[in-house]
Amino acid sequence: MSKKPSNEFQSVASRRGFLKAATVATAASSFGVLTMSDAQAASASFSAEYDIVVVGSGCAGLTSALFSRWHGNSVVVLEKAGALGGTTFKSAFWYWVPNNAPMRAAGIEDPKPDFLKYVARLTRPQFYDPDHPRFGLTQWEYEMCEAIYDSASPAAELLAEKGALPYRHVPFATDYFAELPEDKAKSGRVLTPKDNSPSMAIGGQVAVGTLSSAARRDGISFKTGHRVQRVILNTKGETIGVEALKDDDSVVRIRARKAVIFGSGGFTHDPELRSNFLNVPVYGGCAAFTNEGDLIRISSSLGVQLRNMNHAWLCPITFEKAMARDGSMSGMFSVAGDSMIFVDKRGKRVVNEKLNYNELCQKLFEWDGSKVEYPHLILFSIWDQRSQDHSATNDYGSAIVPPGADDRHVIKSDTLEGLSEQISLRLSKYAGVIGHMHLDSNFMSNLRETITRFNGFATAGKDDDFHRGERSSDVLFNGAVKKEPNHKNPTMWPISTSGPYYAALVGGGTLDTKGGPKTNTHGQILDIHDKPVPGLYGVGNCVASASGGAYWAGGGTLGPMIAFAYRAANKAHVEPKRS
Amino acid sequence: MSYVKTSLMLFCFLGGVSITRYALSAELSSDALKALAVKHCSQCHTLGQGEGPGNGPNLFGIIGKKAGSAQGFTYSPGFLAVMSGKTWDPELFDRWLTDTQALAPGTGMVYFQDDRKIRKQLIKFFQLLR
Repeated sequence: MSKKPSNEFQSVASRRGFLKAATVATAASSFGVLTMSDAQAASASFSAEYDIVVVGSGCAGLTSALFSRWHGNSVVVLEKAGALGGTTFKSAFWYWVPNNAPMRAAGIEDPKPDFLKYVARLTRPQFYDPDHPRFGLTQWEYEMCEAIYDSASPAAELLAEKGALPYRHVPFATDYFAELPEDKAKSGRVLTPKDNSPSMAIGGQVAVGTLSSAARRDGISFKTGHRVQRVILNTKGETIGVEALKDDDSVVRIRARKAVIFGSGGFTHDPELRSNFLNVPVYGGCAAFTNEGDLIRISSSLGVQLRNMNHAWLCPITFEKAMARDGSMSGMFSVAGDSMIFVDKRGKRVVNEKLNYNELCQKLFEWDGSKVEYPHLILFSIWDQRSQDHSATNDYGSAIVPPGADDRHVIKSDTLEGLSEQISLRLSKYAGVIGHMHLDSNFMSNLRETITRFNGFATAGKDDDFHRGERSSDVLFNGAVKKEPNHKNPTMWPISTSGPYYAALVGGGTLDTKGGPKTNTHGQILDIHDKPVPGLYGVGNCVASASGGAYWAGGGTLGPMIAFAYRAANKAHVEPKRS
Repeated sequence: MSYVKTSLMLFCFLGGVSITRYALSAELSSDALKALAVKHCSQCHTLGQGEGPGNGPNLFGIIGKKAGSAQGFTYSPGFLAVMSGKTWDPELFDRWLTDTQALAPGTGMVYFQDDRKIRKQLIKFFQLLR
């Protein structure tokens, strides 16, 4: 498809009408819903008109727009930020696609019942029952997970076939819980953009590049600097457009003949929503700054059902980059280094440092009821020159970064004593947001004992305390380490007895949140009676995920996202045109 | 939106880091220019003097610099193939902001801005950011 549709951008506003509309809207540029009578809607109050209006330009938005366009609809993408891509741009863009085409071609079996058992076991572990007809999932969760299995692969294939997202298969990428007996297809479900880097860390840049190029090639319009704040309904409660605030503080209304599809991300960067919905003390995260829960605020007026608001896609983060609001900050998806440990304020290890990020992060949120504190709210990553020399990387949010990189979070000292003094200074800087946490008086003696004990494990190749390196995903994200002839466990090597030493403060964060309005399997946002709000759709992290607190595998965010974008676009296409 | 009619001397703070004192002669206030630049650029770029690269290179003092010369940042082959040897002047910067992929196909940065006024404001901001 190369020809732009003739009705791609219909200016329907006279200057007078536009000014009138802008004036009205400026006075009410808050979040929510605007209901218009037919007469009002028919008047010159819309600046443009499309079949489908997409809100957001990350994976959910771009793929929803493309699938919609390929049905022949006119489509506009409204992006709140100045640049495209949202959180997706920063991601590695692995996408988890069950029973994908390369798996089928290679004869790797991934039967649907086994897939559903695996996701059920992780999503609702307390209710999981292999003999239950839905394996312990609710009806809604079960249907949503079925939809992922059914539609992720057709979506991936169509995106590839149209040249919007050529991919390569990553056969060695194991699921994060491949050791579970329920996981029959332990690896093979991950795809990544064909031109992703060898370390597969810049897939988001590649994907936003190819998806947006295809979108422009195929005649999709883009409007950046448009923050959608209101959904416009007619008097029958049907969605007929949106109202957006522009960079210059003017307000525009854009009409949607068939549907509005939100792909506007979660609420990672809205502290009020975060502290009122998440039950863990996160310090922001690596979602795009524009992910401020706009759809949550808009949909409050629609009588929707919010679901899964208490969960997020969790990841450790370099605490000081989060405090500095570093826009490029990535979650710590790969905890780099072999001669590296995490210790708590006592100087003791508390976790397998190579545990996959969603689960590792839970340790930071552990609550000590007797002391009424989060004892691991901040952990300290400590490494030596060996890991600095051989494991430093700019990929996957590593705390160990190469020379020339942004290293504001790195503490360096020739001695462990010096390191501990500097850690204390940094903690005091953030006292007001970390519950006045400080190092225990016996931190140094404990740290020395911890290193001695860890070094014994590293030499033996077996971590008797936390079993580091025993899970396949521990090794998957180990990162580069110096190879040794007697490296029994590639995730561990003894920490040097002499400096210099390095440290970084580690806090808890999110890739993004995963709660929002409940949708059906077609991405239609549901009202309190489980009926779709006509013409209103949501895909991705702006709506409720059926994954509970689970992170099924690498790409467990983006794979389901393209599945629901595909389904939402298919359904939106057959919506009646609302004149 | 506030407008500044005459040149002013201001201290500018970006991301909590004091960066410079500069002369401002623009239609928009320094705060408005900064807010626009942060909104459009800071997801990937640091703007303060001496700050390291992010997903893109640090942009302090970019106007007048050689393209592809930021320390500690690995440029994409698509960028280097077209931009190496060029100097960031307002004209080149304007073409870049208009459509990065059209100017340097395959470059890591995906940005296109068809609003000339916004491009002009961003260029003004970066001319002053030194």
